[in-house]
Amino acid sequence: MTNTEDDLPLNGVRVFELGIAIASPFCGKLMAHFGADVLKIESRMSPDVVRILGSAWLKDRDDLAPISSDTSPYVSEMNASKRSIGLELKTKEGKAAALQLLAECDVFLANFGARALTELGLDYDSVAAVNPDIVYVQLPGFGSDETMPYYPFVAWGPNQAPLVGMDDFTGHADDPPAGIATIAPPDYMSALHAAIATITGLEQRDITGEGVHIDISQFETTLALLGPFVMDYDLTGTVYSRIGNRSMWGAPQGVYPCAGNERWIAISATEAEDWTALRTLLGSAIDLDFDNPSTRLTDQDRLDEQIAAWTSSFEVEDLAYRLQSAGIAAHVVSTNEDLLHDTHVTSRNWYQVAASSRLGRDVFSGCAVKLSATPGRWTAAGPSMGEHTREVLSDVVGLSEEEINNLISAGGAFEQLEPDMVATRPWNDWIHLLVPGTEDARDL
Amino acid sequence: MAGPYNGLRIVDTTGLAGAYATRLFAGLGAEVIRLEPPDGSPLRRLGPFAHNVEPPENSLWWSYLAMGTRSVVIDPQDTDALMQILAEADVVFEDQLPEKSLVPQDEISPTTIRTKILPFGLAGPKRNWSSSNLVAWAASGILYTTGFTNRPPVAPAAPMQLAYHASAASALVGTLLALRSRRITGVAQDVEISMQEVALSIAPETGVPMFMDDRVHRERSGNRRDLGRPFGLYPCKDGFVSIIVLMPRHWAAMAQWVSETTGNESITEEVFVDNAVRVEAKDLIDDWVEELTTQGTRLELFEEGQRRGIPITPVNTIDALVDNPHLEAADFWTTTQLQDATEVTIPGAPFRSSSPWWSMAPAPRLGEHTHIYLN
Repeated sequence: MTNTEDDLPLNGVRVFELGIAIASPFCGKLMAHFGADVLKIESRMSPDVVRILGSAWLKDRDDLAPISSDTSPYVSEMNASKRSIGLELKTKEGKAAALQLLAECDVFLANFGARALTELGLDYDSVAAVNPDIVYVQLPGFGSDETMPYYPFVAWGPNQAPLVGMDDFTGHADDPPAGIATIAPPDYMSALHAAIATITGLEQRDITGEGVHIDISQFETTLALLGPFVMDYDLTGTVYSRIGNRSMWGAPQGVYPCAGNERWIAISATEAEDWTALRTLLGSAIDLDFDNPSTRLTDQDRLDEQIAAWTSSFEVEDLAYRLQSAGIAAHVVSTNEDLLHDTHVTSRNWYQVAASSRLGRDVFSGCAVKLSATPGRWTAAGPSMGEHTREVLSDVVGLSEEEINNLISAGGAFEQLEPDMVATRPWNDWIHLLVPGTEDARDL
Repeated sequence: MAGPYNGLRIVDTTGLAGAYATRLFAGLGAEVIRLEPPDGSPLRRLGPFAHNVEPPENSLWWSYLAMGTRSVVIDPQDTDALMQILAEADVVFEDQLPEKSLVPQDEISPTTIRTKILPFGLAGPKRNWSSSNLVAWAASGILYTTGFTNRPPVAPAAPMQLAYHASAASALVGTLLALRSRRITGVAQDVEISMQEVALSIAPETGVPMFMDDRVHRERSGNRRDLGRPFGLYPCKDGFVSIIVLMPRHWAAMAQWVSETTGNESITEEVFVDNAVRVEAKDLIDDWVEELTTQGTRLELFEEGQRRGIPITPVNTIDALVDNPHLEAADFWTTTQLQDATEVTIPGAPFRSSSPWWSMAPAPRLGEHTHIYLN
């Protein structure tokens, strides 16, 4: 990346992040990429879940147990380019240091529960008391208004999607809901809305000098995507639900079997011109009456059966290329092995590599937001827990070495464990396959 | 109205790919012009439709996603009119590759930000490939892992068009960053979004860094997962609830609840405190938990389970959400007006701000604002 740090849109913005798992951390990583100094505040008493997960490769390595908290791939995936500050907010000393640090920050970003933040004394009013023009962004499950019925309720990760209607919308029409427990889209949608709100808040503050309190109830935010279905229910009483992979707007669209075990192709050919193109490829494999668009919609079972009979003789990669060459939207239903070999993804530098004080270097997914003139930066992979405690307390807060030592010995702050212990991931040798331009470690 | 984007002019030439972004932008106070061909935006052809309203004003997707925007009809061949609109644009949203875009690539003002939302991005071997919500999920690894073992895999929440909306939200993040950058440096730039990368960014669980770490080929496993027990969806009187129990304290509360409600004394035995044992005995645990869940409704189980500190949520359907007591108390739902003046319920602002940023007018009629911008 050729741009200088000074040009980045969030250069000079300092973020105090109290993040767990995804919703805040994903937003914080994006801000760090575009120049913000994101301070990830960490606790050993109640660590972020990514610190507990560890790495599969370390399961039987008791000798490396002290560094386990730095080794989950999610550490870099969600926290690359942040600084990690160990502060125990439940201690009097740690809390005092946090308030001193907050006075020097521009943004407060947290996805702790609203009640937990209030109990820590870090609700909006308390933070605004030390930093009146702060851009305060919180992402509680059910909002920060303590008079609301679900205020004390907890929902996280896999439990959010069913709550906001996503699981009911997932699956084939006659099946029970299939559930989407492998991913948590509400976390990411909340994170993107948090980024939008934060940047908007920073603009307002730069223009008017006024800070802002933004409350992103994860329950409410993702419901904003349900507009047309809510309207239809209000107007007609229709309760819209899952329809498999089909489209509401045309046919065919679906996931069809290809040659081999569990090989599938996704095809969307819902527009008239798509059908013309697909028809040419299908030839005699399809009944003639499907040239009538309304037959394609009303008799989708027969249509899908005939398409599936046709696709099942093809090798999946080959069929995807044939369909796309004809202008039809299609893709292999990629497995994680397929993604490893997806040269389109790697050619676009989707995976990034950056230095890690614990692992030498680490790989993580890049940022889906690409800016041409200020393409962002990765200063490092995910930080080691407590790696930057001393430098931040010294440089940002202005504490003396003695004050920092006292804070640590009182249990209010902590530093990185075993700073000299390093370990290389077993797949470090293969990074060059994922990240173009990276040296093959075996040649180094 | 009073938001910091007041005074900015945004031109949206996209369909579904950018609509959620410009809807948010309009809600935050920007002037959003939606360019439509004479027969209307493709969004206007997306059902469900309002039965009492005539086309092209009857699409509920249009009525929702175009809220707060202005409709200007323009003949795609009329370059002069197009340039007149684009001349004062701060941002242009596009969803076509440069060679296919109706926006003349070389004549755009150097101070205009260009936001492009594309299926696979501007460059790379698949740059010319087409996409859809379904295809984006197929290319992310998540589609493969979703669904029941004996059924074809399924896209997550397909009707919601999440891949489009997440791409649009990402595009807005990039656009706001580019505007901030332009305000500070005076230089405009391009924003590029690949729908595939947006889907990948939401799907690290099936992503390459995780796979490199554990080398586990991920398969779909229906609506329960063997990470813990209970873990996933459980049937109840009026649908399903989602229960995720991993932590010991959550299990203790869960076992107590089952025991109190169904008289089951075995479930509180010490041996089941170990999550690995529960996963081993998953059929037994699932049966016991179902004896509890089938006695209650989604809402009863949700409220009682949460009161007991258990991570449980209802598998909500649209009707349950509209009638949800918390959302009603929080005054979340609001209304908009259709072209026949019918008031219809819609979701409220996606976040609450102490500054009065958010406001949304109804969606415009086809060409309602053409005369203001073209004369």
